Amino acid sequence: MNPDDILTMNPLREGIANRLTPETCTLVIFGATGDLTHRKLIPALYNLAAEGALPPSLIIRGFARREKTTDQFRKELEESTRKFSRTPVNDELWNNFAASIFYNQSAFDDSRGYSDLAAEMREHDIAKGTCGNRLFYLAVAPDQFPIILGHLRNSGLNKPSEGSWSRIIVEKPFGMDLSTARELNGLVNDVFPEKETFRIDHFLGKETAQNIMVLRFANSIFESLWNSSHISHVQITAAEPLGVEGRAGYYETSGAMRDMVQNHLLQLLTLMAMEPPTSLGADAIRDEKVKVLRSLRPLRGDDVFRHVVRAQYTEGLINGQPVNAYRNEQGVSMDSTTETYVALQLNIDNWRWAGVPFFIRTAKRMPKGGTEIAVTFKGVPRVLFNQSAQNLDENVLVIRIQPDEGVSLRMSAKMPGSSLRIEPVKMDFHYGTSFGKATPEAYERLLLDAMSGDATLFARCDEVEEAWAFVDGIEEAWKTRSDDLAFHAAGSWGPTEATELAARHEVTWRRM
Amino acid sequence: MEEDVSFSPGLPVPIGSIEMELGRVWEESGTSKTRASLINLAIYNEKPGSLEANSSIIREIAGEHAMRAILIQADPNEQGSRAEAWISMHCYLRGSKGGSVCSEQISFQLGGEAARSLQSVVFSHLDSDLPLALWWQADFHPPVESNLWQWVDRLLFDSRHWKKPKQQFEFITRIANLVETKLVLCDLNWARSLPVRQALAGMFDNPGTLPELQLLKSLQIDHAPGSRSTALLLVGWIADRLGWVLKEISPNPIFSDPKSEKIQVTLTEKVGASISRMLLGSDNSSFELIREQESDLYRTIVKSTGSVPTVRMVRAAREETREILLAELARGGRHPLYSRAVLAVSELW
Repeated sequence: MNPDDILTMNPLREGIANRLTPETCTLVIFGATGDLTHRKLIPALYNLAAEGALPPSLIIRGFARREKTTDQFRKELEESTRKFSRTPVNDELWNNFAASIFYNQSAFDDSRGYSDLAAEMREHDIAKGTCGNRLFYLAVAPDQFPIILGHLRNSGLNKPSEGSWSRIIVEKPFGMDLSTARELNGLVNDVFPEKETFRIDHFLGKETAQNIMVLRFANSIFESLWNSSHISHVQITAAEPLGVEGRAGYYETSGAMRDMVQNHLLQLLTLMAMEPPTSLGADAIRDEKVKVLRSLRPLRGDDVFRHVVRAQYTEGLINGQPVNAYRNEQGVSMDSTTETYVALQLNIDNWRWAGVPFFIRTAKRMPKGGTEIAVTFKGVPRVLFNQSAQNLDENVLVIRIQPDEGVSLRMSAKMPGSSLRIEPVKMDFHYGTSFGKATPEAYERLLLDAMSGDATLFARCDEVEEAWAFVDGIEEAWKTRSDDLAFHAAGSWGPTEATELAARHEVTWRRM
Repeated sequence: MEEDVSFSPGLPVPIGSIEMELGRVWEESGTSKTRASLINLAIYNEKPGSLEANSSIIREIAGEHAMRAILIQADPNEQGSRAEAWISMHCYLRGSKGGSVCSEQISFQLGGEAARSLQSVVFSHLDSDLPLALWWQADFHPPVESNLWQWVDRLLFDSRHWKKPKQQFEFITRIANLVETKLVLCDLNWARSLPVRQALAGMFDNPGTLPELQLLKSLQIDHAPGSRSTALLLVGWIADRLGWVLKEISPNPIFSDPKSEKIQVTLTEKVGASISRMLLGSDNSSFELIREQESDLYRTIVKSTGSVPTVRMVRAAREETREILLAELARGGRHPLYSRAVLAVSELW
């Protein structure tokens, strides 16, 4: 190592971890008394601290409206971390970690709260060596974003001092449509440059989502088949048995399309369909993902009703227990047309995917939960083994995102015996089987990435806007009528209209 | 995770029928058991009783790192040729459906010619296409033959147990340099020092403390009896990273930094963890890492003139062989700094 490098790089870090080193900073969580902080953020930070993965001198500041002292705040966080941490909490470790947590009580619209915050952070920059680096986390409802962002700008907290940085993490939803997303992006980017803006989609922090690129680009056998010459169709499913679980207020304004498709499922689609990036840099990857979104054939007007099925669950059984119809859930209007089920048939109009239908479905109150991508390959020619009336099953590659993360491949094999009988068999790789060790929580990875300035697993503004542009066409068409809303019993796999949608392409939805 | 089946050394089988017998065991076990394997892990030992001890290690780690384990107890000095084999499985309950995931184990007792022909007798029973990690628990003996090592992807050993480390380091260096081999040297002693290196590196992530690396004047390490080699590897690592050159060979050696400033290194034997304390000092600052006896935490303390000391706690790695081996297998990759660290203190072994 060149002696001069020691001035800027820690030479002892080389070879220790194959990731960027997170930089020392102050993490300010707005909405720090909420569920996300207690269930996800602080347990994730505690586990990182226990592993020594956090930067030195990290200070965590909770900023929220409720009256409480720092000691009370630490005590509450300790209780929730003991409940939600993936590893047991060690008293000594917790005490050491908790000493870096502080509480700032303030209304979000009180400028004094921000000036106090700024003063305390400056003090800690000197006393604790946080170097003027700031990471703001908006764990609040979107209607609070403009207020907080405005105050961050007015107080100058968005402007880093020389040699330091100021970043913001935004939780979804990133708007409710293209217009509000642009407004939000404009608002955020007025205060923070895009390269310092980190939009979290926790799906992207999951190991299996990250493994899609590894599977595709580190295995030559898949990538050479990954195109319209060999693939018949693709299905992406995200099913959950839960209902709205007290989130009716939010869900009534979003529905399955905004809640799941616009972000999680289109993100999975882009990872599945993107071209190989020129590098593993954040922008190289996100450039390719945006190209996929831009290549999505827009759905407008009547096309929407030919390519999209929306539905709502009625009463039924989940795990043998009766559950209410969506319209009977607390907080849901009796004439609600909010979709709890949506199935789409999409086309990606580019060279690689021309003619390959992509099917996406997501729903609440499905018989079981799970998220997966299933790639069905074209059948073999109708010669040799495929001549008889009984068709051979196609090869299917399934990437299971959750639960039971893994990859399986269905292929044909001869049944033992003197006659020629061919049956499908499955080669199955389970992460949990081969790697017995628990994987880190998505938020652990994402928080470290944000502290390191690595935006690869975060959504860029144009990604968000392109996804909204696509979804808006569907939402607009839905506003023109409601007679297309189908119904299915809770605990069933969806309405017959969805079955018909797939059948038009000679496809059946996969049994999960 | 709960183990439900384990038998050691297992079912005796003729060497020529190992694969067939394994297949039969799987057939008889029905559909409730799933075979899993990420690697072939072969363990070579020349001590009587090693099969039992190593079988116990495999039983402890296979649940977290599925494998085909191949245990070898060899006596290469025996007259004639003797080869016996056993097969067994280590199974662990997984998930709510009551199924279990199993790793296979093949155990060999070899004597004489068979013990000197591992590639023929043993390595013909690898799970094909999966990497081979060979954990060599004996001393390395000359001559260096490429026939054996070219099969190996990762060569594991623990330099802490070497009586003549200088000779052994020279030997593994020759193995690593064989043209035919692409193996990665994995010293469990180096893996043992990783948590210490991580915690130590963390003290210099702060831009305020980073320049002090160039101003260090002393390095003190307290190590457990028998862990001097772990301490020396740490010295070698720091010396390589900071451009120190060994100037005076002694139990407490002296190095010089790139500006020719003297650095005193002090190694002290002390009962406790393999590395219980490290202290790096400059004129204005000190960087201390402490692991108290019986504690599973490291405490790092950074003191600078005129500043309040910064104290951090991080979880220390457990020092059982099981934990170190698992960490090494999970980590994978090459260890480019290892050979350089060894070289930096090669005169001190």
